[in-house]
Amino acid sequence: MRQRIEIGILYARSGSYRLVSEAGRTGAMRAIADINADPAGPVELVPVERDPKGNIDRYAPLCEEILRSTGARHVVGCVTSWSRKETIPVLEKAGATLWYACPYEGFEANEHVVYMHACPNQHLVPLLGHVTPRFGADGFLLGSNYIWGWETNRVARDLIADAGGRVLGERYLPIGETDVARLVEEIRVTRPDFVLNNLIGTSSYAFLKAYAELGRDDAHFRPERCPVLSCNLTEAELPAIGEAGRGHLSAGPYFRPADGPAAASSFEAAAYASVQVLARVLAIDPEAGFSDLPAIFARERFATPFGRIVIDPHTQHATLPVEIGRIDGDRFDVVSRTEAVAPDPYLSRYDRAETFGRPRLKVVS
Amino acid sequence: MSRGSRIPNLGGARAFVLHRPHATVTAILRQLAAIGLAADDCWPELPAEALAADFVFFDVDLGFDQQFPWAPGEAPMPTVALIGSEAPGRIEWALSHKADAQLLKPVGNAGVYSALLIARQAFEARRRLADEVAALEARVAERQTIVRAVAALAAQGAGDERAYRQLRSLAMGWQVSLEEAARRIVAMRAGEDDERSGRA
Repeated sequence: MRQRIEIGILYARSGSYRLVSEAGRTGAMRAIADINADPAGPVELVPVERDPKGNIDRYAPLCEEILRSTGARHVVGCVTSWSRKETIPVLEKAGATLWYACPYEGFEANEHVVYMHACPNQHLVPLLGHVTPRFGADGFLLGSNYIWGWETNRVARDLIADAGGRVLGERYLPIGETDVARLVEEIRVTRPDFVLNNLIGTSSYAFLKAYAELGRDDAHFRPERCPVLSCNLTEAELPAIGEAGRGHLSAGPYFRPADGPAAASSFEAAAYASVQVLARVLAIDPEAGFSDLPAIFARERFATPFGRIVIDPHTQHATLPVEIGRIDGDRFDVVSRTEAVAPDPYLSRYDRAETFGRPRLKVVS
Repeated sequence: MSRGSRIPNLGGARAFVLHRPHATVTAILRQLAAIGLAADDCWPELPAEALAADFVFFDVDLGFDQQFPWAPGEAPMPTVALIGSEAPGRIEWALSHKADAQLLKPVGNAGVYSALLIARQAFEARRRLADEVAALEARVAERQTIVRAVAALAAQGAGDERAYRQLRSLAMGWQVSLEEAARRIVAMRAGEDDERSGRA
């Protein structure tokens, strides 16, 4: 008789970042179905689902409700860093674990969270390392007005300086804001080499649409000269962006291959991987709680859509491949791939020379 | 530091946690390892190699001066006080050690990273200030030398104002501080005096 184990699912099914959230939910539910469909599998997972509807104040109470009213000790979910930080006190109090399957800004290693998507040394650092020698190092930074944009752009300022470039502007919009005329005008007059886009959801779609129009008027702003860079853009959002996205770049652990059955985006793949790893942990010890995870992570490798991966027992972040993809219609062309990049959430091992090469002397005439 | 933000490179830094074995130590060591530091706990004494550490965390509840291989307040690296009991005597003791940051016990899942950054910044600011004060004190102590040098130059018939200007231009010419130039002039003058008295 297989052991039935409840797990929490905490993904918003509406709100401004619904597409990302739905992708995560799809991955988690698909993994649960696949695991349960295996008659030889040691556990059967029973999802306990709550929908915070993208309302930041709903995450902590709903997470608490899952942990209080059911046997679940593990929750898969949250998209924004803000919502993750909101749920952490609840997890700490209940001794529970959040499996977080989205890229984030780093500088966190909570023992109640397993970080299954990329942190800055797995997205921003390699992305700028790829872009600055090809397009130039002067950047314009955009973000939605919360921690993801602030912190990612903060690291980007340092990286741009290390690459010998200048930050030509840094602008933030409230989550959900779609009036981007001013941003686009500032970008037009400052003429950067690239735009780092940390806007999320509908703000990001509105920006990309307006930027494509700018590119039609002025060739400098076409993706082959001044691309828009993103550390969290995946196939999940391409339908909302359409042709406006073509040619722009994103970094992530996974882009959907052109052929064969596969996860539709890295959000889906990371949520799928989270449930796979969790199921493996529960197969080893159905009672496994947060304090048992480091010992298990120290000795196990896990089969996931990212390949066989390890999870660093100290930071509870996954070792992941790093891919840089260029948008081509409803998918990405992978233009660069690095295998098995170990997580460095505090950028403690960041090395300027390794990322950007030795500084070259300028010829002064 | 001219730039407001820098990627704080803590990877490979070395830390000691001076605290009896306790869940708080486990929590601190875990956070330090996650951030990328090499860290050890020790009790009741800091080992000699702690002198080369980049950070020292120390217990305030049970701490005492003899645990440290340095005099109170003279730690050669940033220190973080681990405060449990807020008894005024203990706080006073922690203050005598000039901790650069503090963490309240029990320590949970966070706090170490901010303590590291705050301690490092506070320590560097304190050290910069101490260096500046030492330099200023040295200059104040040289006031008498400057007076003697000006007097020596003035004795050659230049007058005080001109003698002082002459001293400044000599310092510039020799590319040394005013105090150093004054020391040289006083030394030369003493040499001349010796010669004279030798001849006599």
